[in-house]
Amino acid sequence: MIAGLGLIVGGIAAGVFGSLLGLGGGILIVPLLTLGFGLPLREAVGVSLVSVIVTSSASAGVYLQRHVANLRLGMTLELFTAMGALIGGLLAFLLDERTLAALFAALLVYAAISMLRRPGGATEAEPGAGYVYRIQRSGLGYVGSVGAGVISALLGVGGGLVKVPVMHLVMGVPLRVATATSNLMIGITASASAIIYLFRGGIDPYVAGPVAVGVFLGASVGSRTAHRIDLRVLRTLFVLVLTYTAFEMIRKALLL
Amino acid sequence: MNASRSTPTTASAAGLAGTTPDLDRAIARLLAFGTYLAIGLLTLGVLLMAVAGQSPFSPTSFPSFDAARLPQDLAAGRAEGFLWLGLVTVIATPSARVIAALVGYARAGDRRMVAVSLGILAVIATSVAVGLLFSGSAT
Repeated sequence: MIAGLGLIVGGIAAGVFGSLLGLGGGILIVPLLTLGFGLPLREAVGVSLVSVIVTSSASAGVYLQRHVANLRLGMTLELFTAMGALIGGLLAFLLDERTLAALFAALLVYAAISMLRRPGGATEAEPGAGYVYRIQRSGLGYVGSVGAGVISALLGVGGGLVKVPVMHLVMGVPLRVATATSNLMIGITASASAIIYLFRGGIDPYVAGPVAVGVFLGASVGSRTAHRIDLRVLRTLFVLVLTYTAFEMIRKALLL
Repeated sequence: MNASRSTPTTASAAGLAGTTPDLDRAIARLLAFGTYLAIGLLTLGVLLMAVAGQSPFSPTSFPSFDAARLPQDLAAGRAEGFLWLGLVTVIATPSARVIAALVGYARAGDRRMVAVSLGILAVIATSVAVGLLFSGSAT
């Protein structure tokens, strides 16, 4: 019972942090379950995939109603992220826990660096219906999307850390549209691999249930309080958490 | 899929950047419905876990997903029945969104997006086939 409450509270924390910082929460849920609750990494990834689908479905609807997420672009790219996720879902059951832990540590370091380099505030007006922009280098975007899908399936994250830079920097999509569209794409990307985890016995319902409910509650709270919180302080705290977690994951990779 | 590196294309030419307000709204409603339904089922499952004094970590191995057992578990009010149904609803919601988009694009005569939608559904179907092929074979 106490463990169940702990999972819900952990899910809420991941949901709040994820929504305030524009992440799916998977990058926090996997370390929470492995380092905090001692779950094997692959089981933690299965639970995390379910949670990132919940946050994606909940927030993508809002972004679509505001016409910030681009359904056509998102669906075209998610054809490739889903292919990558299918490949990653198969690879995940071939790699050992130490390799997965090392890959996750590398992702955490990359996330911390990305967070430090992110600009301080919103610099773009929110686009609405009829907003027109140019899409360039689609081919590179498709390749990047396959890569994002593989990473998502292997490590249980939404893959926004790859998709957003690919769309924004490579394809020339405005940052807000890229972020919202990435969020929309997470659902299909994660479900393509979550299906494999589900049938192969990689999702524990007793852990996934409380965590998913917690993440949903946390993301709801986070989206309502985002405007009241100093994101610079939060981002610094997050970078520290990521750095510490990366260190612990490296230890896990070396000592397992 | 016809944009190139040297010649950036406009929204209409690339077919990627344009928005589809009516379809967006319909899909937003579908996503909200799927999410609330899934969270409702999962919450019920978690409450049944609490009532039964079931700890998430007490069984050394958790049950694998078995669709055939789902009706019995639900009828008996067992936590795992509601948890599995909630998890399946979570995982199926994005695919339902793609099916809705497929219908919307087909009605609009947008062949390109119909092909994209069918491609995504084909990948999802492949995932199901692969999952069933290796069902319960490894963790």
